[in-house]
Amino acid sequence: MNFPKPNVGMLPNDRLAYSAIATRKPLKLPKDARMVVWTITNVEEWDPTQTMPRTVLTPPAGGSPMPDIPNWCWHEYGNRVGFWRLLKVYDEFKIPGVININGCALEAYPDIVKACVDRNWEFVGHGFTQRNMQKVENERDDIRISAEVIGRVTGKRPRGWLGPGLTETWETPDILAEEGYRYVADWVLDDQPVWLKTRGKPIVNIPYTQECNDVAMMLIQHHKASEFYERAIDQFEQIYKDAKESARVMAISVHPYIMGAPHRTKYFRKIFDKIRKKPGVLFWNGSQILDWFLKAGPQAPGS
Amino acid sequence: MTDPKGPMIPRERADYSAIVDRPPLKLPNNARIIFWTIVNYEVWDIGKPMARQLLPAPTGVALMPDVVHWAFHEYGMRVGCWRFFELFKKLGIKPTLSANARICEDYERVAAQARDDGWEFMGHAYEQGPIHKEPDQAAMIKRSMDIIEKFIGKRPVGWLGPGLTQTLETPDLLAAAGVKYIGDWVYDDEPTVIRTTKGPLVTLPYTIELNDIPMMMVQHHESDYLLKRTIDQFDRLYAESKDRAKICALAIHPYISGQPHRIKYLEAIYDYVNKHEGVLHWNGEQILDWYQPLADKQLRAAE
Repeated sequence: MNFPKPNVGMLPNDRLAYSAIATRKPLKLPKDARMVVWTITNVEEWDPTQTMPRTVLTPPAGGSPMPDIPNWCWHEYGNRVGFWRLLKVYDEFKIPGVININGCALEAYPDIVKACVDRNWEFVGHGFTQRNMQKVENERDDIRISAEVIGRVTGKRPRGWLGPGLTETWETPDILAEEGYRYVADWVLDDQPVWLKTRGKPIVNIPYTQECNDVAMMLIQHHKASEFYERAIDQFEQIYKDAKESARVMAISVHPYIMGAPHRTKYFRKIFDKIRKKPGVLFWNGSQILDWFLKAGPQAPGS
Repeated sequence: MTDPKGPMIPRERADYSAIVDRPPLKLPNNARIIFWTIVNYEVWDIGKPMARQLLPAPTGVALMPDVVHWAFHEYGMRVGCWRFFELFKKLGIKPTLSANARICEDYERVAAQARDDGWEFMGHAYEQGPIHKEPDQAAMIKRSMDIIEKFIGKRPVGWLGPGLTQTLETPDLLAAAGVKYIGDWVYDDEPTVIRTTKGPLVTLPYTIELNDIPMMMVQHHESDYLLKRTIDQFDRLYAESKDRAKICALAIHPYISGQPHRIKYLEAIYDYVNKHEGVLHWNGEQILDWYQPLADKQLRAAE
């Protein structure tokens, strides 16, 4: 079926054709590993003069009052206290960290940035502010400044990008490729990395997750905290089984203000307690997944 | 006196501070953790939209008057609150009462019981409704404080906005009215000091995680999850309190946790918590009395 094309950018299927995982050439990981787990921590700064991206408490009789101090504080707790709880888990299990970070948050939370730089975490561009990419004034400037800030503060420009709330315009992958990003994680459509065409050089998409994601599970679906552990293990066991013939990637995505709450952190920790020592599982960051896929995966389209 | 720049935004009132960078707080007599119970007694005016809704109106459109939810709340003041009074009398705990001042008029029987049982009265607006809609916030705050002062014979030291709502100038207005601490800023595990135009103001770590409104009215968890989450929260904070004093707050409402099917889980929380050594059941005023000299010392050192 033919859909009307946007004036700028591309429709999804013009970037990648449909492909069934069962009929693709198998992907192989080094050392007979079956799967990769990557864990993403999202650090944001919420502008107190804008509507809060999420809320835990609605005001009496509803509505969204401005300012919204209780929900601003709820998020700020994650960066003052919760992040440091999650960090202990990563340290304990030697998990390579990936931080998706708003450009403005690098300046706002220097202690967090330092802790991540000290541990050689990968910094992934995540918008300059936590705002829908369709609503930022100039998408290219936002994408460019996000990379510049990360480069300046950490000494390394980011290779990866995840849009705030995974939002994109029709043009986002084109701009990302043009601004030097090598992978994006917004396209949650496969268990393996895939190539996306752009008007310039193609870009890789790495499997991120909406399913094992604390925003979806705790804030939207309102599951109890232990469900985060249960679901992650169910997800892991199925992907591990599926990956017998061809390698797969599993993502776990958390936010310090959600899984860093005292009553939730233990369920996050329990996941790694269970899966960290399992043979055939690699714990990598996004950049490592990219480098592997560039070598082991199919050729880039148009090359 | 209005500042031409407008009132301070949260970041101007409080610099970012990572909990790991602060010297640990210590409690007297080797106590480890404060369990802070906050009971909320409110007045829901039948002439306004009701603060919370359990049963959506047929066709989903809220209509006025909303007798269903007026009655839902009224049950808490007729029946549910007496389950609370009985429980806390038996336990010898004098909680903080987050009190709409109008309870001293509309529910004098209830307010007098709390006063005579030695509960701490914390200002909580005149009646329930978002503070953003108050035509004269300063007058409402003063009126609320005055009514409670007259009723209990002493000016309250604490304040919690209805639904924790604040406008940007609220902390200035509260400090001007003689408020010493607020619970609205749930952004840390420890008390903090924020800036106002009337001098420093203490924030105490109230809670929107261990709070029956988000848990039962917004997230729709099962009744026993209040107990489960509180145990998880308490366990984690208790473990961390080995190194630095912690505060575990619990916020309850008589129309929610005072329901027959929920009260046993509330009772079980205290059974669990009280099995631990080094737990202090302090109210907000007691926490302030402990923290204020420490805050004063810090402020003097910073000068």
